[in-house]
Amino acid sequence: MTDQTIFLGAVAYDPKVVTIWEGMREHFREQGVPMDFALFSNYERQVETLLKGHIDVAWDTPLAHVRVKHRTGGKSLSLGMRDSDCGFRSKVVVRRDAGIQALSDLQGKTLAIGSRDSTQARILPLYYLNQEGIDLARVKLLPFDTDLGKHGDTGTSELDVLAALNDGRAHAGTVGDLVWVTEQSAGRVDSNKIEVLWTTPGFDHCMFDALPTLPKEKFEAFRRALFAMRWDNPRHRRLMELEGLREWVQPREEGYQSLVAALTAAAEL
Amino acid sequence: MSSPGAGSTAAVAIDGGDLPLGGGLLALVRPALDLLEPAGVLAILTSARSVDEDLLAWCRLERHEYLGSEILPDNRTRHLVARGRLSGVSGERERAINLPRREGRLLTADLLAAVPMPEHADPSSGFAPRGAQVEPGGPQYPFSLNERDRVAPPEVAQLYDQAIAAQWDASRDIPWDKVRPLAPALERALGQIMTFLAENELSALYVPSRFLPRIHPAYVEVAQFLATQLNDEARHIDVFLKRARAGGGGVGVSSATTSHSLLSLLELEDFTEAAFLLSVLGEGTFLDLLKYIEHYAPDEATAELTRRARLDEARHVHFGMAHVRHALAHDDDLYGRLEAAVRRRAATLHNVGGVPAHLQDSLTILAARDANPTAVRRGHEAFRELLESMHEQRVKRLLNAGFTTEQAQTISDLHTPNFM
Repeated sequence: MTDQTIFLGAVAYDPKVVTIWEGMREHFREQGVPMDFALFSNYERQVETLLKGHIDVAWDTPLAHVRVKHRTGGKSLSLGMRDSDCGFRSKVVVRRDAGIQALSDLQGKTLAIGSRDSTQARILPLYYLNQEGIDLARVKLLPFDTDLGKHGDTGTSELDVLAALNDGRAHAGTVGDLVWVTEQSAGRVDSNKIEVLWTTPGFDHCMFDALPTLPKEKFEAFRRALFAMRWDNPRHRRLMELEGLREWVQPREEGYQSLVAALTAAAEL
Repeated sequence: MSSPGAGSTAAVAIDGGDLPLGGGLLALVRPALDLLEPAGVLAILTSARSVDEDLLAWCRLERHEYLGSEILPDNRTRHLVARGRLSGVSGERERAINLPRREGRLLTADLLAAVPMPEHADPSSGFAPRGAQVEPGGPQYPFSLNERDRVAPPEVAQLYDQAIAAQWDASRDIPWDKVRPLAPALERALGQIMTFLAENELSALYVPSRFLPRIHPAYVEVAQFLATQLNDEARHIDVFLKRARAGGGGVGVSSATTSHSLLSLLELEDFTEAAFLLSVLGEGTFLDLLKYIEHYAPDEATAELTRRARLDEARHVHFGMAHVRHALAHDDDLYGRLEAAVRRRAATLHNVGGVPAHLQDSLTILAARDANPTAVRRGHEAFRELLESMHEQRVKRLLNAGFTTEQAQTISDLHTPNFM
């Protein structure tokens, strides 16, 4: 293994992660960019490993991304993101029989929420509800802290929220919009029972992060190989489907401001 | 909610009533978008408030562009969505297919004429029926017969139509009650002949089945024809074994010669070589054998079952001939390869002897009908004439397939003494 090999970290939130990164490694090799990867069981360890300089690039959730940014004094490098990472939203969904017509009706009701490290299922929907003037101390929260350390990647806590609504343990719940429409598209939501009440403003999701000390050649080679992937290429497409994107897009930072604000307010950055 | 795009015109509009997105609306939206070109605009009219919340997220998931909405005077909302360039399938949807009815029948040959086979087929289209819009990104399938001229003679669909119309039932369509007790020697001879026929038909069942999964589904009519051929062989095996046992006798000997000969067919790896050796040479020779058995059949049931089997086999020979003739016309090297295949097989079968002795004796006794020397002399003559006529007919078929007289003679002489 030479010095030019880009050493990437990703979190193994699902067995498919191995398939994705073996495929990506092969794709990078075909592009003349040597790349290898290590899988972590949680984002906290991955962030620490990146900050120590033991890996070159980390494939980070929004929570991990803003922490890397914060810990490097805003100097970390952002290399790219998925088209699907842009304009994420969260939903407040309600049981039709719960008598909730507006956000203010949530007071006194049970609100199912996802894992405490899930940006879309807990951190930002609660932040935005607070911004809307909802006193969360007067809402009964029903948390589902599943798969902690995975930052909501598994989607399990969001499915837990929907299940709690379906069987009446909660009157309302917070989920990310992708899980919500995916479950609806697949016909797994009983729309006679559950409907959407409110949508949060947009925010951005995952990002490839690197330390500012990443050599320029690696920075450029990584982006060259990444952006060479095409949806209409059958071999690329398989990896892109697994990773949940159709195009890699340029990084942007403004989509993380609400998360920074939420974490700052909670002193959790 | 409103945006600059909301006032623009849409190519198509759908009325979603009060259907929620996940409560049926998508069943209207998705097919409507599929009919649009990328960037084509769909208008969705809805009175369901939840759609206002959900449609944008769904567009993000599916990479369609949400252009905005406007409230109509009747309080419904009109949303505009542009089909995304990375969404949906490409290519034209099949339309304006015109299939003639012929006395109420809808023939496969007419379907093939309306939706012709492509010259080359792409293994990544998998089991997609010919003409379907194939979503890109599917896996490669292990089809190796991906060229029309190597697989599909033009008359394949007509042959399939004929084959389907000519199916019969070995239990019902043979006058089994006409089977009468025969002299023991004749009964044993008939059992031996039926054993030989069934054994050869087993090979005719197994050999083509090896090629079926290699045929690209764009040439499905070939696979369909082969399916009828396999069904024919299954029925022949059934009917021959029934006849061997219906008179109270039973099956006879399976010879090593036959076994060697049939293994050399089973080991073929090239579809055209297999069609040539099995159907043109093997089944072609069987036509003469079946005619012989029908002619000397000791009862009506035997005559009828060999007659029916012969008609089926004639269809297989026809397909084999069409296949080889078509392939020869498109491949200059094929003559040489086919002759080489026959020579290789003859070399493999070198030293395996002549016509299997049990079969030869049984065919002689069948024609003699009796064990007295005069009758047996007659039977022996009939058998000799059978061998001659098999050779003559083989040469004729080879000439008909496009071989020269010299090539036809050589190939016929090299053909297996096992007949198939």
